[in-house]
Amino acid sequence: MHKVKKFFQYDNIGYLFVLPAFLYMLIFVGYPIVDNIILSFQDVTMKTLTAAHKPFAGLDNYIEIFKDPVFLKSLGNTLLFTVCCLVLQFLIGFALAVFFNQNFRFSKPVRGLLMMPWMIPITVTALIFKFIFGTDVGILNFILKSLGLIKENIDWLTSSGTAMFAIIMANVWIGIPFNMILLSTGLTTIPQELYESASIDGAGKVQTFFKITLPLLKPTIEAVLILGFIYTFKVFDLVYVMTGGGPVNSTHMLSTYSYKLSFEMFKYSKGSAVANVLFVILLVVGVFYLRMTVEEEEA
Amino acid sequence: MKTRKIATLLAAALLAGTLAGCGSSGTGATESVTSAVEGGTEASLSEKEAENVTIWYYWEAENHQKAMNEVIKGYNASQDEILVTAKYVPFADFKKQLSIGASASELPDIAILDSPDHASYASMDIFADLTGKFDLSNYYQGAVDSCTIDGTLYGVPFGVNCLGLYYNADMLQEAGCEVPDTWEELKDTAETLTQGNVTGLAFCSLQNEEGTFNFAPWLWSTGASSYEMNSEGGIKALTFVKELVDCGAMDKECINWTQGDVMNQFISGNVAMMVNGPWQIPTMREEVPEMNWDVALIPKDEEYASDLGGENYAVVAGRNEEAALKFLEYATSPDQVRTLMDSFGYISADKEIAATQFTEDVQMKFFTEQLEYAKPRGPLAEWPEISDAISLAFNQVMIGEAEPEEAAATAQSTIDSIIGQ
Amino acid sequence: MGDEKKVAGSKNVILCILAVVVLCILLFPLFWIIATSLKTEKEIFQIPPTLVPHVWNTKSYAAQVETGDFNMFRSFGNSLLISFGAMAISVILAVPASYGIAKYRFKGKKMVMLGFLVTQMLPVSVLLTPMFIMFKNIHLYNTPYAAILADATIGIPFSVLILKNFFASIPKELEEAAYIDGCNRFTGFVRVLVPIAKPGVVVCAVFSFLYGWGDLAYGMTFILDQQKRPITAGIFNFMGQYGTKWSYLTAFAVVTIIPVALIFIFMQKYIIIGMTNGAVKG
Repeated sequence: MHKVKKFFQYDNIGYLFVLPAFLYMLIFVGYPIVDNIILSFQDVTMKTLTAAHKPFAGLDNYIEIFKDPVFLKSLGNTLLFTVCCLVLQFLIGFALAVFFNQNFRFSKPVRGLLMMPWMIPITVTALIFKFIFGTDVGILNFILKSLGLIKENIDWLTSSGTAMFAIIMANVWIGIPFNMILLSTGLTTIPQELYESASIDGAGKVQTFFKITLPLLKPTIEAVLILGFIYTFKVFDLVYVMTGGGPVNSTHMLSTYSYKLSFEMFKYSKGSAVANVLFVILLVVGVFYLRMTVEEEEA
Repeated sequence: MKTRKIATLLAAALLAGTLAGCGSSGTGATESVTSAVEGGTEASLSEKEAENVTIWYYWEAENHQKAMNEVIKGYNASQDEILVTAKYVPFADFKKQLSIGASASELPDIAILDSPDHASYASMDIFADLTGKFDLSNYYQGAVDSCTIDGTLYGVPFGVNCLGLYYNADMLQEAGCEVPDTWEELKDTAETLTQGNVTGLAFCSLQNEEGTFNFAPWLWSTGASSYEMNSEGGIKALTFVKELVDCGAMDKECINWTQGDVMNQFISGNVAMMVNGPWQIPTMREEVPEMNWDVALIPKDEEYASDLGGENYAVVAGRNEEAALKFLEYATSPDQVRTLMDSFGYISADKEIAATQFTEDVQMKFFTEQLEYAKPRGPLAEWPEISDAISLAFNQVMIGEAEPEEAAATAQSTIDSIIGQ
Repeated sequence: MGDEKKVAGSKNVILCILAVVVLCILLFPLFWIIATSLKTEKEIFQIPPTLVPHVWNTKSYAAQVETGDFNMFRSFGNSLLISFGAMAISVILAVPASYGIAKYRFKGKKMVMLGFLVTQMLPVSVLLTPMFIMFKNIHLYNTPYAAILADATIGIPFSVLILKNFFASIPKELEEAAYIDGCNRFTGFVRVLVPIAKPGVVVCAVFSFLYGWGDLAYGMTFILDQQKRPITAGIFNFMGQYGTKWSYLTAFAVVTIIPVALIFIFMQKYIIIGMTNGAVKG
């Protein structure tokens, strides 16, 4: 008993605090992750789904998907989509957070209202954006034409290049509140006195921003970026509902292609292999993130 | 220490509570069956507990659900050995739920599914063999084929429908056009009618089963089968569709429009003609009662063709097969079928009953005639993959990413790799 | 404490105007949803589209309350139950965990953090089948508990990552002052640190609630009975086999946002103050 107490005396008490949450996640998500990995090494299709012993397939699924042009396209799409969305929604969200941090009359209610995009069911957002980007019935083309910016209606969702743009816009719209609120709350952890003493010392706004705000906000920024990356990388509903991966497979993401393979083509093992590729990429990003951040904390 | 203790206690309580008192999950049946026991004949639990039969369906339309529940209520009231309940699983989720259910052995006793999917699920060995249990001699052959794999019957058709050509009679009259009967005429009429904000023709061209459903009549009209994309007929069909888009008679947006969207375009006057099914008629009559529209056979190339749609019943193997069968016998009896078909706006899969339907509704009756030319998709367990190859092909030609020959060849190689197995 | 100095005068006016402009641009899609919900199906597809409905149609709102087997109030209740449940579990488990990670250096800390992140790295669709089997085995299939437990798996890692920064930014002196006053690790945590990290806790509670509220996949897959499904499931009443009923769908969206928006408006005082009150004082 004494040994146990000694073990938990110093930092190791951290284990106790962390254990409940960690165990919970291990039980409810750990098993599915392992199950999915196993599934990707088997050959499970509609014919073997209910079999007692599923045939082993080794690396076949992975080899086949890497030969699949749609998979490779979806891999590229996911990376492009994630980076574009992340950059845009972070920058805009950050700008808005800083903007609304100034205490003017409407700042608080307006900021609250800007949370709305995030509260709308994603399926509805996807359908509305699909409508907004419609070639003839869409309001966007109407507005652009009225402003004289375009002559002909742009076929946003029926041509490969512009479809990506449309889904990025839709996702950025949903992602702005997330970034804005988290960065806003992060801004509150910075003590007011620092700003006061900086202005006493004669520092300008820009200087203050780069020398005080940014460094102190770093942990929040890092958390927002990594979470944003992970969530955007696996975005499913928005793309599935808005374009279904089309036109002609040009907007498929790893998540939508995985779903299509598993639940529409009944190629469950292939679908899970695609999902695992997504998983591995995120894992690498996650390890990288931890390398960067935990080292700083210990510095 | 307090938070720790409180947290652990809460967690333990939650866990214990859920593990113990989960009676609610067992027979959710009892809640949704309020209508069924209304009749006054409550299942007497003292002697023999009624067997529960669960049905899954994906109809979200209120009148569909009501009609089905009426039939179920009637059955439950007529006897007290079997208690039937129905669960609504949305169409978008249905296939996923069946897959998950098959993996987890959590399936209903009867599933009502889309006919082209039947073969795929049957190949999972989850459906019971119904050979010889029903008299399907008067049924449309295509419907029976959709639930027959290698000669074994794995289901019973629920009801059928098909596609036809709708046209805005006023627009045609104003332009001085006749109702088109061949592809040539269709293209000319569509081009003539394309003016201002109006396009001549529209039909769903999504890259999924719905799109393939709408493309198939064109393909089959040339005489080619679904497995012969890279044939004279296949290329001809693809070229035809491409020309329609290129000359402006058909909006490229069709690749993003569901059949419902196409109907919306038609009733708002953006489109002069459309290919769609009879299920749209009730909505159309409600939304635009003043519109003067009519129906005609889908224009042909070599022969008239249409696509057979509808749903089938399937009995899940290894569960309450006997009880499920008894219900199905009731549900497929002529009176029940008539009630269902009329409320749904469907055509009975039984030709004899179909002949007596819609005696006063000319437009609905027309679809019964169009059925003569309707063929089923597949049936094949791997149909979804074939369908995907086909829909990719016409999407490619419609947005101009590939020429018909190229698209046909790509589709054919995918198809060959599938049926070659 | 906090941002007390208010911006005054002309600067105030300029900023207000700017804020309203930003609001109009960013919330235009929301306006479009509302406008669409009040149009007739026919007008929705008019070319060119109309910004304001010419013919007002309120049928779609009437249909929201009850459509077939679906009852809006009951579903709303289900959603509340599921969201609060997920929020409660997330906060109760994540707050101590983030504190532990922030304040203590124990072996394997990096692995633990990676572990939390890893649980977010698979798309929901592949998690569905194994989770389904798990819930079936512990007899939670077709109960709201399954959705609660599943939704909490989204809230917890998110909360851990965000909250750890809050705890980390609390200076050691405050903690040590608490111990000098006689608290042990746990009481110090509860009595001193959590209140200081309140803005973060509030944010995590709000986000966990919203994740639960907006969830569709878990609620649909693990709950079979229409009556027990959350309100998000109602969307399928207007999105069926043959297409979408647009005015009804958008009316549905408006109706489902309203309660959450109301909660936000009334709770705003507490939420926004909670979120924006300076975490650290002197």
